Amino acid sequence: MQSFTYIRPSTPAEAIAAMAGGGPGTRFLAGGTTLYDLMKLGVEGPLRVIDITRLDALARFDTSGPHELVFGALARMSDVAADRRLKEDYPALSEAMWKAASQQLRNMARVGGNLLQRTRCAYFRGGAPFACNKREPGSGCAARDGMDRGNALLGASDACAAVYPGDWAVALVAFDAVVDTLSPRGERSIPLAELHREPGSTPEVETTLAPDELIVRIRVPRSGAGRGSTYHKIRDRESYAFALTSAAVAVRLSAGVVAEARVALGGVATRPWRSPEAENVLLGQPLTEDVAQSAGQAAFAAASPGVHNAFKVELGAQTITDALMIARQRAEQP
Amino acid sequence: MSHPDIPRVDAREKVRGATQYTADHALPGLAHGMLAVATIGRGRILSLDTDAARRVPGVRMVLTHLDTVGLQSAGFLLGGGYGFQSLQPLLGAAIAYRGQPIALVVADTLEAAREAAALVRATYEQDAISVTLDAPGAEILAQADSPLPKPAFADRVAGDADGALSAAATRVDATFQGPPQHQNPMELLATVAEWSRGELTIRESTQNAEALRHGLAKVFGLAPDRIRVLSPTAGGGFGQRNSLQAHTALVALAARELGRPVKLVVPRAQIFNNASFRPASRHTVRLGADASGRMVAAVHEIDHQTSRHDLFPLSYADLTARLYGIANFRGRERLVRNDIQTPGFARAPFEHIAACAFETAVDELAYALGRDPVAFRVANDAATDPLTGRPFSSRHVVACLERGAERFGWERRTQAPGSMRLADGTLVGWGVALGAYKAATAPAIAMLRVTDAGEIFVSVGGHEMGQGIRTAIASTVAVDLGVPAEAVNILVGNTGSVPQHLTAGSWGAATALPAVHKAALNMLRELERLAGNGPANRTFQQILRDAGRSHVDVEARHHAPGQPDAIFDRVAQGLPAAAGPAYPDFVSMSFCAQFVEVRIEPRTRRIRVPRVVSVVDCGRVVSPRTARSQVLGGVVWGIGAALREVSEVDPRYGGFVNADLAEYVIPVNADIGTIEAEFIDEPDPLINSMGVKGLGEVVMVGVAPAIVNAIHHATGRRLRHLPVRVEDVL
Repeated sequence: MQSFTYIRPSTPAEAIAAMAGGGPGTRFLAGGTTLYDLMKLGVEGPLRVIDITRLDALARFDTSGPHELVFGALARMSDVAADRRLKEDYPALSEAMWKAASQQLRNMARVGGNLLQRTRCAYFRGGAPFACNKREPGSGCAARDGMDRGNALLGASDACAAVYPGDWAVALVAFDAVVDTLSPRGERSIPLAELHREPGSTPEVETTLAPDELIVRIRVPRSGAGRGSTYHKIRDRESYAFALTSAAVAVRLSAGVVAEARVALGGVATRPWRSPEAENVLLGQPLTEDVAQSAGQAAFAAASPGVHNAFKVELGAQTITDALMIARQRAEQP
Repeated sequence: MSHPDIPRVDAREKVRGATQYTADHALPGLAHGMLAVATIGRGRILSLDTDAARRVPGVRMVLTHLDTVGLQSAGFLLGGGYGFQSLQPLLGAAIAYRGQPIALVVADTLEAAREAAALVRATYEQDAISVTLDAPGAEILAQADSPLPKPAFADRVAGDADGALSAAATRVDATFQGPPQHQNPMELLATVAEWSRGELTIRESTQNAEALRHGLAKVFGLAPDRIRVLSPTAGGGFGQRNSLQAHTALVALAARELGRPVKLVVPRAQIFNNASFRPASRHTVRLGADASGRMVAAVHEIDHQTSRHDLFPLSYADLTARLYGIANFRGRERLVRNDIQTPGFARAPFEHIAACAFETAVDELAYALGRDPVAFRVANDAATDPLTGRPFSSRHVVACLERGAERFGWERRTQAPGSMRLADGTLVGWGVALGAYKAATAPAIAMLRVTDAGEIFVSVGGHEMGQGIRTAIASTVAVDLGVPAEAVNILVGNTGSVPQHLTAGSWGAATALPAVHKAALNMLRELERLAGNGPANRTFQQILRDAGRSHVDVEARHHAPGQPDAIFDRVAQGLPAAAGPAYPDFVSMSFCAQFVEVRIEPRTRRIRVPRVVSVVDCGRVVSPRTARSQVLGGVVWGIGAALREVSEVDPRYGGFVNADLAEYVIPVNADIGTIEAEFIDEPDPLINSMGVKGLGEVVMVGVAPAIVNAIHHATGRRLRHLPVRVEDVL
């Protein structure tokens, strides 16, 4: 950990100005649950830190709007998790919060920063002597022939197979969420599905955000499949653990068949992973266990497993199946 | 006499956050240390660049192997020394394992120390490494042929196991793998060192204050009486705090050179790679039963890891030979030398994994014979110790099994694997396993003082690391003297008073309590003498005042049956001096029976443990409240070891990859169902005056195999490694 300059602006405009004047090595800081952790590990070494937690306007969220749910980037994960309306109307979004991290971390972490959580790959976090293209571009990938139980089966490249670790973004991508940002060039909106990049040959570039761009809110268009949804997370222990496999699914049933299907995967891909393959299997079909199984398998048809993570093809498919059974039950409730 | 259920005497302080752990000490002028560690798995330092580190504002010192002239290693705890390993970092350029310290940075602030430590650069000459049991280059050494002392570390043999095995009617043969695991006590390893007029005070949470004192005396060539070690309360030990740590002498050296106190709190990741841990082990178990279903032969062959620089002895077969009345037994134990720090004792260090290998094989044999696993175990109980032929001082194995079976509802179990499936497809499995652990005893001296102000002070050899030794001591004194437990002031873990022998191996109560009990009886006699023919029914206070005495001191000593009084000389030198389980006239062990239910999800196959029943024969229960806590903790450890915990090794790099509490998966509350603890609570008639055996370790033994057996009952799969994870049952 190295010394850094600490700036605490009180408006978004000040924050953007500070970033624009900061140059390379400047980082926004929200809850700090990722940035401080990585700074202590020596993986991140910002020279200037802009603490945005006093931008109170960005802390509000509203789950009652007629067209969309709006989450200010600085809403606390614990507050969003506790929102009753969200629990009822979009259980997948609420559960993605509840099943993330620990209560202590959720009390600190913010919903905007959470989207940018970096991978838990041990070789990325471990520093020397491990090669890591994400941490040190061009240095190689120690994970590829190493302990790859946590590696991605989907969206990996030769350079990097690090899993995107979050839960919230997986649930959001299932619901076609949009991220609003602010930069010196003004506001813009990015579909969440386009926020994270696959590693390709530049795994160090994880998002499509510009270096001076700040996430200010997340919007989720209302969906008829909200109530028929769940975030199902399988992990090595029942709390405070990242997903081995997870599935955010949402369905709307009409006349006994699936009229709307949303399936996204966590724990197995390099970014929040939407599975149109699984959704296509479901659409127009009665949601039986067999159909759910087929959808689960379709989601992993293109998976490329390594040595210790091959079980996730089966586990991931079963996770989707279970999630769909839970979602069906919810969708069928009057 | 059954002891009262008194609350933990230190509970109030703990929940208020008032308990002082090592890192809480903030002395005037305190400087902060941070270690820089080797990034190679083996080799030597060619050059060290500390310039950038020294340039960080606030840095006062960068200590390297060039600054340690005149210091020597304190030696290995199990080799006549005092350290968790013989290799004292920074005494030379050689690197034996990844994570070995190469420099200690000391600065005015922790932040500066951290920043500077990250700037220490080394170049190395690097050698090939072998860090797993099967790696090329791992050197295998039969313990029987090693320099380790005999008969303590000779192979355990009774009868003719191989002959009886080949004649057996039914046999099983299974190889079981135990992973490396770390103890991970909540309190990080930490030291505060302070010199004053040539005398050194060490504040460090430890299980072995005397070894720290004598070890540091050896390192610095000081008289031990110039060193004081204070460890009033440790935030968990579990074996990782049983001796001098790799960093302690370096912190003391820095404090001496700087002329100010220095604190080092070792980060978790560095602890993983530079402190004791449970080594990987491999067990081959062969069992044979005769036509009547009696077990007649057992072979248990074990390999486990040690470092290149030390021989960490094996003691697995010493347990498995005594679980049952098997007349023909052969153990064979081998050390596998790897490029690692010296592994060591982690709660139930040998017994947990030995029982896992053995008790899963026993289960397999019961199934091969079509026998109920509880009835089969009851039928194979031992009448006398198979290794020595001596009687057990007490052995309530059958009572543990029968009471556990009743409490668990075992009679509702159906034998066939997969036969207890629920309507929704959830697989249910019920498993049982035995646990046992030596009832060892170390020598202890207790001093007791009663004052004319009515105060009571006890000082005894022992360490509090959360297991509740203070509460047990208070309870003993309270019962003996007829005073409230909260009136008893207890001094433990402090080398300024009586000697502080290692507290480990579940011998804490059997070591300290008989000495305290004896001192209390001496005190009653002394007070009776002082009371003379005066009025009856006076308080201690009145007796002392009437006799014109400000206080009365008594002392008592206690050691294991059969030990000579000269054993106290070893204690005074800070050397291990415990005995057991084999005493001259008997063998003494604690026992338990563990009953476990697992439920496995139909599709995603998560394994859950909704309930455990643990019935324990630990002799007399002196402190019911802390005893129950010990059982809960031991069972949780067993669940963690069985289903979650593994220290992951990448053979290319050495060290451990998942070196933090997010990635090293210990159980959380949500993983734990109901745990019912029951005690036989029969005083052992022979082992000591209190009738106490040991508890803290036996309660972990048998949990993991009961879980693995329950998984077999649920799924029909015999799994032969730990941890068992979702991928093993998909």
